[in-house]
Amino acid sequence: MYRLALNMLFGDRAKLAMLLCGLAFSALLMAQQSSVFFGIMSWTYTPMVNIRAQVWVSDPMVEQVNDAKPLRDTDLGRVRSVDGVAWAAPLHTSFVQARMQDGNFKLITLVGIDADTFAGAPAVLSQGRIEDLRLPDTVIVDEWGAALMGRMTVGPDGKPKNTPLKVGDTFEINDIQARIVGICRVKRAFTGGPFVYTTYDRAKGYTLGARRTLSFMLVEPQKGVTPAALCDRIERDTGLKAWTSDTVIWSWGERSLARNTFWWFWTNTGIPFSFGTAVLLGLFVGIAISGQTFYSFVLENLKYFAAIKAMGAGMGVIARMLFVQAFTAGLIGFGLGAGMAQAIGRVMIEKGMPPFVMFPQILWATFALVLGISFVSAVIGIIKVSRVDAASVFRG
Amino acid sequence: MSHLAHTVAVRASGVDMFFGTPENRVVALKQADFEARRGELIMLVGPSGCGKTTLLSVIAGTLTPQAGTVEVFGQRLDGLGQEALTTFRRQNLGFVFQSFNLIPTLSVVENVMVPLLIQGRPFDEARTRALAIIDKVGLKGREDGWPNALSGGQQQRVAIARALVHEPPLLICDEPTSALDKDTGAQIMQMVRDLSRSPERCVVVVTHDHRIFRFADRIAEMEDGRISRVVDDPKLLDTTQL
Repeated sequence: MYRLALNMLFGDRAKLAMLLCGLAFSALLMAQQSSVFFGIMSWTYTPMVNIRAQVWVSDPMVEQVNDAKPLRDTDLGRVRSVDGVAWAAPLHTSFVQARMQDGNFKLITLVGIDADTFAGAPAVLSQGRIEDLRLPDTVIVDEWGAALMGRMTVGPDGKPKNTPLKVGDTFEINDIQARIVGICRVKRAFTGGPFVYTTYDRAKGYTLGARRTLSFMLVEPQKGVTPAALCDRIERDTGLKAWTSDTVIWSWGERSLARNTFWWFWTNTGIPFSFGTAVLLGLFVGIAISGQTFYSFVLENLKYFAAIKAMGAGMGVIARMLFVQAFTAGLIGFGLGAGMAQAIGRVMIEKGMPPFVMFPQILWATFALVLGISFVSAVIGIIKVSRVDAASVFRG
Repeated sequence: MSHLAHTVAVRASGVDMFFGTPENRVVALKQADFEARRGELIMLVGPSGCGKTTLLSVIAGTLTPQAGTVEVFGQRLDGLGQEALTTFRRQNLGFVFQSFNLIPTLSVVENVMVPLLIQGRPFDEARTRALAIIDKVGLKGREDGWPNALSGGQQQRVAIARALVHEPPLLICDEPTSALDKDTGAQIMQMVRDLSRSPERCVVVVTHDHRIFRFADRIAEMEDGRISRVVDDPKLLDTTQL
């Protein structure tokens, strides 16, 4: 009977197309909005990805990576003395204004790294060398930032054109010159500003007047010591807060700074509500369109279902037929919707805006929700058919 | 007595059936008695609203009477639960409906396969048997076509094939010719008679169409919710009264 149930479904192409449109649109909306949401949320812990270290140490009151509470420089010595620490390097992060050559100001994320070890340096440099940061007044700017901080010039066609900063260009931070010696490739941040890398000591100079400039300490455990175990030791011995660099936000590990950052933004901003509303909208639109279309499909076939009942099919068989029809439509609708979301995502990833991260969990959740929509649609149909009297087939 | 019991296919005794609320009751059957024999084609006739369709539904096990007994091929239907009635219909009944009730999104052969698939027969076996009976009703070559592409007569032939494909002992036909012209109706009734004729099968036909009375072995006339008389020779029936 299931084969015939499918033939009944595929035989009514107009209804099927409507049903698939509803399910696909719903799946697209849910998957795409969730992916953009997680893309934006993944930007919140971008520093963890760009500044790579196994263990991060911060002030005990720090809740997330963008909210650095400066430490005393002497804390670095205390951390280095903890058993199990291979090395510890200072890290400065702050938001400062940079003045471009054309007089324009840009808010930048200033990252000061240890000049000896270059711990926390960007992994990929598309231009220049990291060692050049040891030269006076030098910085490295990320590719996105270089474009953002670029100059508007007039192109050969007479139209205005943005010319990104390049190695050798200069700008000012707090009236101190910053000369670009490298362009790096890093992940963009939630704040949207450029990443400007320099040495820790020079960063102190750029942030005039700041009494404390040590934002975090980057720590490497000795061989055989796990990051989590080292975090315990650091916290016990220094009273500071130590974090692992684990960026799996689904884990329950309270030591992950990325995870804490993610959930901090989740609970303290309206972003989840905004995207959650869009996802819910997708769900409701899916239920409304698919439920309505499937109901009308059942209504149109009601007399045939009544005939099938009269011929001796129990409600169990008919319910399974309707479930097969609804779930098949759901499966195809999900495939179409998720495929479209992936295609849109590819374009987004190429353009870099808006961020798009489609975790497998998003696909599974979307799949489950689409099947949920199908289930609701089938149940609506089953209720209708169950109320049909088999004797009604004799009433013309 | 035992010989008589052996020949009875359907027996309904003292059947009451009413619809609506106690204050606003519509009596459909009132102490109705009906009997059909094995091997015969019996027609239920009578004016509109006399209870023909209700009696047919009671015999088919799609309606449960408020009073009386119904026995079909030795099986008492009154008192059976819905599940048992469903199983009974699946095993013992074939239906030919007034409006054919062929599923338009299924091909001819798929429509004919439905009763076998409901019985849980394998798909391939169901298809083979369906093709064989489609051949018998003269629609070979149309098996993969769509019901809507067939004429009314051809659609009713498909319905007959569907009703007989699982070889049910009781064939129920509800106004099988009402949507057909005279000649086609006669052809259809001839086909019902030819294909369903079997010493172990009983055919009950509800009809208004006096042009097909000649195909009946007996005719039971209904009036006001009960059988008023049974005529052994259809020619003796005064059709002007119907």
